[in-house]
Amino acid sequence: MPDLQITATVNGREVTRAVKPWHRLLDFLREDLGLTGTKEGCGAGECGTCSVFVDGVLIKSCLMPVAKAQGTRIDTVEALGRRQFTAVQKAFKKAGASQCGFCIPGMVMAATAALRDSPRADREEIRERLGGNICRCTGYQKIVDAIELARDVLLGLKPESVFDEETTADGHYTGRNVGRIDAPSKVTGALKYAGDMVMPGMLHAQVLRSPHAHARILSIDTSAAKAMPGVEAVVTCDDVPGVDNYGVFVSDQPVLARGKVRFVGDAVAAVAAVDLVTARRALAAIRVDYEPLPAVFSAEEARRPGAPVVHDYAPNNVTKHIPVRVGDVEKGFAESDLIVERVYETQPVEHAYLEPEAGLAYVDPDDVVTIWSPSQNITHHRHMLARILARPINKVRMIMSPVGGGFGGKEDMIYQGILALLAIETKQPVRLVFTREESMAVSAKRHPSRTRLKMGVTRDGLIRAVEYEMVCDGGAYGLSTEGVMRKAAILGAGPYRVPNLKLDTWGIYTNNTPSGAFRSFGGLQAQFATESHLDVVAEMLGLDPFEIRRINAMRVGTATHTKQELKSASLLEVLEAAAKASGWDTGAPTSRGAVRGDLFGPGNRVPLAPGSRVDLRMPAEAGEVK
Amino acid sequence: MLTCDDYLTPTTLAAAFDAIERNAGRHRLIAGGTDLLSWAREGRAGDVHVPVLIDVTRIPELCERRVGAERVRFGAATPIARFLDDRALAAAVPSMAFSADWFACGQIREQATVGGNLVNASPAGDAIPPLLAQSAEVELAARVDGEIRLRRLPLSDFLVSSGRTRLGENEILTAIECDALPGRGAAYEKVGHRRSLVISVVCLAVVVELDASRRRFADVRLALGGVGPVARRLHAVEDFLKGGPIDRERLEAAAEMPLDFVQSRSRRAYRREVVRGFVVRGLVNALKRADVADGVVEPELEAVYA
Repeated sequence: MPDLQITATVNGREVTRAVKPWHRLLDFLREDLGLTGTKEGCGAGECGTCSVFVDGVLIKSCLMPVAKAQGTRIDTVEALGRRQFTAVQKAFKKAGASQCGFCIPGMVMAATAALRDSPRADREEIRERLGGNICRCTGYQKIVDAIELARDVLLGLKPESVFDEETTADGHYTGRNVGRIDAPSKVTGALKYAGDMVMPGMLHAQVLRSPHAHARILSIDTSAAKAMPGVEAVVTCDDVPGVDNYGVFVSDQPVLARGKVRFVGDAVAAVAAVDLVTARRALAAIRVDYEPLPAVFSAEEARRPGAPVVHDYAPNNVTKHIPVRVGDVEKGFAESDLIVERVYETQPVEHAYLEPEAGLAYVDPDDVVTIWSPSQNITHHRHMLARILARPINKVRMIMSPVGGGFGGKEDMIYQGILALLAIETKQPVRLVFTREESMAVSAKRHPSRTRLKMGVTRDGLIRAVEYEMVCDGGAYGLSTEGVMRKAAILGAGPYRVPNLKLDTWGIYTNNTPSGAFRSFGGLQAQFATESHLDVVAEMLGLDPFEIRRINAMRVGTATHTKQELKSASLLEVLEAAAKASGWDTGAPTSRGAVRGDLFGPGNRVPLAPGSRVDLRMPAEAGEVK
Repeated sequence: MLTCDDYLTPTTLAAAFDAIERNAGRHRLIAGGTDLLSWAREGRAGDVHVPVLIDVTRIPELCERRVGAERVRFGAATPIARFLDDRALAAAVPSMAFSADWFACGQIREQATVGGNLVNASPAGDAIPPLLAQSAEVELAARVDGEIRLRRLPLSDFLVSSGRTRLGENEILTAIECDALPGRGAAYEKVGHRRSLVISVVCLAVVVELDASRRRFADVRLALGGVGPVARRLHAVEDFLKGGPIDRERLEAAAEMPLDFVQSRSRRAYRREVVRGFVVRGLVNALKRADVADGVVEPELEAVYA
């Protein structure tokens, strides 16, 4: 394989490197030149974390073969604001546009391009011009705010002083626009995430994953992979020195599949090799014999007698059942004027943080296994890992690298154990960076739920009884399911006084991708059911939806369904503020009639081509000289 | 991940054929690379090794652009963005300008090429309906016995089915020629999950020309994509529209005509509804851009569809 000799002017300096012919411009920048401000969020041109200028034109460096960069001028985020931040960088910092920061170098580049190409771009045009860059934290408002701020300063419509921080000299921070202390490192691309880190002699890890949802592993043959030049280690569950059974709430997970695989994507074996390509080719050389087993793909099926069993310790596939009992629901229903029963379902949701999972592990000279990763739970991971590795706790060190978006998705330890095994085996630093596809396939999802809710109310809207059963698909391993079921049980019946309650939440094992922590941790699914149900009941009673909530609201002194006496309760104020802020039109949901008359009328449609750039005038007509 | 042993960047057509002949059967042509690199990933083709990649974007014949009075010629390696910012090209190929506005995102428009979009032959390829509407032909080059030979095919014949074209194994798509239609009203209607970086669920290109009264079509062209294996011109709808006055009844009747072309494997009922709306909306938008006489497009029709 002849290397390509690439010469380009990168950030103002001419560089020449011999590179692999298949390398992308992104690999050239990150691996060959160490310019890690340019990120890889997806590798497929979707996310824009890799945006750079080539000959002044913004492109996605993950889709550009490096050969195309021959003789070009390339500018990366590192070229911006070397001595002083650019207006765009200052504006991102001021507006609070950087949160996890992983999309921010690309966003700063795209914003720079947008204002260079169209200095007067309005909000809609800015949004369209940034359409190739994805952010998962901000909802884009702060980012677009920042670009508008930068535009106004660059046009001289606002003074530079708008970038100044608000003073907190008086020691008060609440209500002030205080700059994030990590914003400078994010708007410059200087911040190193785990996948940006390198160490001398570092190896690259890849993980072989199960193609089956449920199968017995008959044998694993790693000999051919181990024999490949450049392969330093291949590990399986046989290489785990300690107790290979861990989990946040329930210990049900091996570091690498032991005996059987339980979902498509379950880790089976892992390789450390001198480079990524060798590691991937080694994976292809590992032979695994599987005996497929009947699999179960929904919580409903998994609860049926005779369903395939995912874990032997749980023959009925129940990960966790949380019951809550208050009063007597039958009595409550007997006292009700109206009983309404409905079923509510929610789907699995991917966290889709822009930073795919990544980690770097090594064994330090004092024999301390050290792992850098964007773990959201390092202390717990450290304890689990000490047990897995059969080491005292002071010989295991977890270092939390910057988290490029987590939302709960990085709470579970799904690869740090694999990295530790490879580092111990090779005595060399080992880095693993998930692909976007791998991240989506194997990271935990929000629990899909199915809730049957039966509510009894009096004619004037007072809740007398609630029977509530939520069944969640927890997937192949326990992860955070138990905690999610607890939270769902505590919050399930909502912030409402329910004198008679029979509530059950069930986390169920299936052969689907595991479910885990995700913002609100079970509260969302629970409240989707209860709040939707209150709207249904309000409509049936001819009550205003706010009113039915006010009638039943918990107040100071109310005991919650799990017997916590409330010393403060702000629901009534929240409802009032929400009604006011939304311009609520008081009345029952049916008061406008069966069909909303304000839709589809003239003047009511938003144009569907925001930020259109089409201009068919010839240069002379457009008043330009080309 | 896509790997190769060699990545060649010929700068003449002859050098490109030398490379093809030297590596016959072991090569693959690459233009912008935006489809190829994202294809060689898990869940699609997986890891792909192509011994020799031959980059065609530095061959002059594939980069030229000539706007004539009757026909427009542009090289296959023309980036999509040129249909927006090369004013002469945008004016002559207006349906491509409106399509380019919806193509991927600003960055990929700079990288992806028009020829790549045609060769990739996705049922939802955004360059295909506009070029069908502008009666495009493709020019294919091959070297036989040391001599470069060109052949031409209408784009509608070039596209065979999803992902398949009539491009021969050792042929290069060099250029595209299509009708020059400056001053026409054009539109490109597209729906996907969001504004940028989406595959068209339905897309429709429209080009109209009015007669002197500005109340009747002198010419009308429609091409529909995203709803079957290959995008297609809607000749019957065009003929129907040319035969009568422009009014709500006829536009809505025209919108009923192509519904049976929806052959997608998923969301058929939804796509049929979208096609119905898009035909009217595309015509209304194109008519407005063609400076249709006042009152021909009723405000209510515009409010409902456009």
